[in-house]
Amino acid sequence: MSDIAAEMPKRSPKLFSSFSLRDAGTLIGLILIVAVFAALVPGFLSERNLINILQQSSINACIALGMTLVIISGGIDLSVGPTAAISAVLTATLLVSGVPVPVALLAGLGIGAFCGLVNGVLVAYVGLQPFIVTLGTLSTYRAIALIYTGGNPVLGVPQGFRSLFNGNIAGIPNSVIIVAVVAFAAWVLLKKTPIGEYLLAVGGNEEASYVAGVPIALTKITAYVISGVLAALASFILIGRLGAAEPILGNLWELDAIAAAAIGGASLMGGKGSIVGTILGAIILGAMRNGLTLMNVQAFYQLLATGLIILVAMMIDRATRGRG
Amino acid sequence: MLRPRSNRNRSRSLQDRLSSFDESTEMTTTARLRFEGITKTFQSAKALSDVSFSVKPGEVHALLGENGAGKSTLLRILSGVSPQTSGEFFVDGKLATFKSPEDARRAGIAMIHQELQQIPNLTVAQNMFLGHPLKYAGGLLVNRREQEKRAAAALAMIDPSIDPSTPIKDLKVAQRQIVEIARALLENAKIVAMDEPTSSLTPAEFESLAVVIQKMAASGVAIIYVSHKMDEVFRICHQGTVMRDGNVVGTVDLRSAVQADVIAMMVGRELMQEEHKTFVKEDVRVDVRNLSSAVTHVRDVSFTVRRGEVVGVAGLVGSGRTELLRLIAGVDKIGSGDINVDGRALKLTGPRSAIDAGIGLLPEERKREGIIPMRPVSVNMVLPSLRKFARVGIVRHSAVNKSAETLLKRVNLRPFQIDRPIKLFSGGNQQKAIIARWLAAGSEILLFDEPTRGIDVGAKSEIYHLIENLAAEGKSIIVVSSELPEVIRLSDRVMVMRDGRIAAQLERHEMTEQAIVSHAVGDREPNTDSSMQEHAHV
Repeated sequence: MSDIAAEMPKRSPKLFSSFSLRDAGTLIGLILIVAVFAALVPGFLSERNLINILQQSSINACIALGMTLVIISGGIDLSVGPTAAISAVLTATLLVSGVPVPVALLAGLGIGAFCGLVNGVLVAYVGLQPFIVTLGTLSTYRAIALIYTGGNPVLGVPQGFRSLFNGNIAGIPNSVIIVAVVAFAAWVLLKKTPIGEYLLAVGGNEEASYVAGVPIALTKITAYVISGVLAALASFILIGRLGAAEPILGNLWELDAIAAAAIGGASLMGGKGSIVGTILGAIILGAMRNGLTLMNVQAFYQLLATGLIILVAMMIDRATRGRG
Repeated sequence: MLRPRSNRNRSRSLQDRLSSFDESTEMTTTARLRFEGITKTFQSAKALSDVSFSVKPGEVHALLGENGAGKSTLLRILSGVSPQTSGEFFVDGKLATFKSPEDARRAGIAMIHQELQQIPNLTVAQNMFLGHPLKYAGGLLVNRREQEKRAAAALAMIDPSIDPSTPIKDLKVAQRQIVEIARALLENAKIVAMDEPTSSLTPAEFESLAVVIQKMAASGVAIIYVSHKMDEVFRICHQGTVMRDGNVVGTVDLRSAVQADVIAMMVGRELMQEEHKTFVKEDVRVDVRNLSSAVTHVRDVSFTVRRGEVVGVAGLVGSGRTELLRLIAGVDKIGSGDINVDGRALKLTGPRSAIDAGIGLLPEERKREGIIPMRPVSVNMVLPSLRKFARVGIVRHSAVNKSAETLLKRVNLRPFQIDRPIKLFSGGNQQKAIIARWLAAGSEILLFDEPTRGIDVGAKSEIYHLIENLAAEGKSIIVVSSELPEVIRLSDRVMVMRDGRIAAQLERHEMTEQAIVSHAVGDREPNTDSSMQEHAHV
């Protein structure tokens, strides 16, 4: 054994294998943006504001983690916002009617998982294209949330639930801790488990994966179910903050999530993506918004800046990768 | 067209005619294409170094060498895809300075790629005019009718049966290849470079391609022909430039050269014509009975494979060889019949169940069905056996790496970098990784589909040795191959397929190229087709 080891080319240390060059690029982007705002906005670098940024990024990060897994598998999930809405109104309704918090939580996560399952089955077994499937469920799920509530918000979410998602431990918001835990779990899933390897394989070459015995349908469905569950979790963070669940919540969440994943290095062609990158991508978007708001920039211009940052990030990505 | 109908005499006479043409023009013409000191460096590595040779009008010039010798790099320079680092080349004596493929096209250079670069949903004519359609109404509209007329005229010279208005996706690969060549004719190319044009052609199709090439050459076109199939090269090429590691080893006159010498030049060592070795044990491991496919034309196939046995499968393209392997590997659905392994009938529900039964498929189209391009070799290797490497749901990467190091060392992966994405390896090394994949999975039955297709001569012999080693270990092996010398070199027994059925099973003493071919084409009198063995690619 030792002679084989001696002949081995030096492998990069463990840290680098999970923190790629691409992630380093995303991190540099984040540092640049933070540096610019630090120069322009007094107080941007304060501990309080930095924690604020993380908290404001947490919902998008949570959604984007699931989105990253789906994108890696070669799909896309446009239905995350409405999935979150269904889960939110159901959970809030149960809570308001006095159901214990753990039960309501599980019900909410369960309905999120079910929404993801429907997407997954339509993609993996019926063989429809992911974009079309989730475009369809985007409308369908939204309609269900609206019909279920008659279009009215569910008010009066109990304090116990709210403090669970809106409280903080040692000054760090619970939502940030929750998303950090989820991110770690997603990282383990992608890097350390067979299903993570299967996601990369299916997204990279579905035909070859099939021949190699990879469970294609199970892999895809897993990604959509996780995406659905994380959409539900994200909705908890929002209703924890607002104390109410609106059936229209989560509008356009899918776009922010896709943007975070793409900035983080996920390829919409599938087979490529990074958990660390996605988290950094979500923080980049959050820091942008936070900084621009502190600078009193109008919402219209904020939207413009967000759009440009996505395009610039993608152009840098393209330029540094070179052609083919 | 369906039946290979070449014969030695006819091709000789064509060649004679061509060579006389050659001699008569030799003195009066300048080189159609001349490379002078072409050098190409990538970062620090030299891909080409000081390449010089020339091609006369009307000459079919083979570019020979193993994968990585620099042939493709040279063709990319010629076709304007990437410029040389230093050196010059001349088309009809004029210095060529191409900034894009379009420049090269305008200068009369046509490339015919190995991997067809066509758009499946567009018609034949649309593909032939891709990028520069015929316009009318002041350039606003495309004149489809005229395009189709001209496309038909160009196609008529090769294969009039192809309708210019059919979508490309409805054509067979060989026909698509012909469309590419017709496109070169249409553009009145002065220089046509063909990169492995015959890798998917049947012998009959090769014959018509040979005729087309000779016609083109006779009209003064210079043809650069890249192929790993030495018999073809010797049949249709006049001159050959042998490259190795980015250098020109020499240019030889193929009409007088000996094949073994040329191969020796290519690999830089003597590649001996090796003897078949047999490792057949007594016990039958695979027993296939009356197997029929639910999705293809494979019907009523029965055979056995013993431990340590290598069974070859020969047959024309479309005879059901690949489909038979896919059936055994659980990729295609079984219609009826049984596959017994070690006396137990398999219930195949997909590739997974076949893999669990110890069956491993090495697909012909590695890029499409074999590899996950962006993932490391090690991951590509362990993909089917990941579960074995997982403990409480977590893959132990140290165990994966240890296994990858051992097995990839055994198959002699080069360069030995197990963390490198597999797409960066040559075809031969990708194939080695797929062999290692099934070693890792503990497969005892290995199904090789065209194991050396698109693989250079050096790696080819490595693959042969690996297959022999596996047989020596007692693995049962089925090899589908279109190259008869390969089938005969490797097989203890050959099954010849025709129209989805097994037409014959030949033992070693009956195993001649002639016998295989006559069974493959369904010829009752083998003697009438005596020349088929000449260019053995069934």
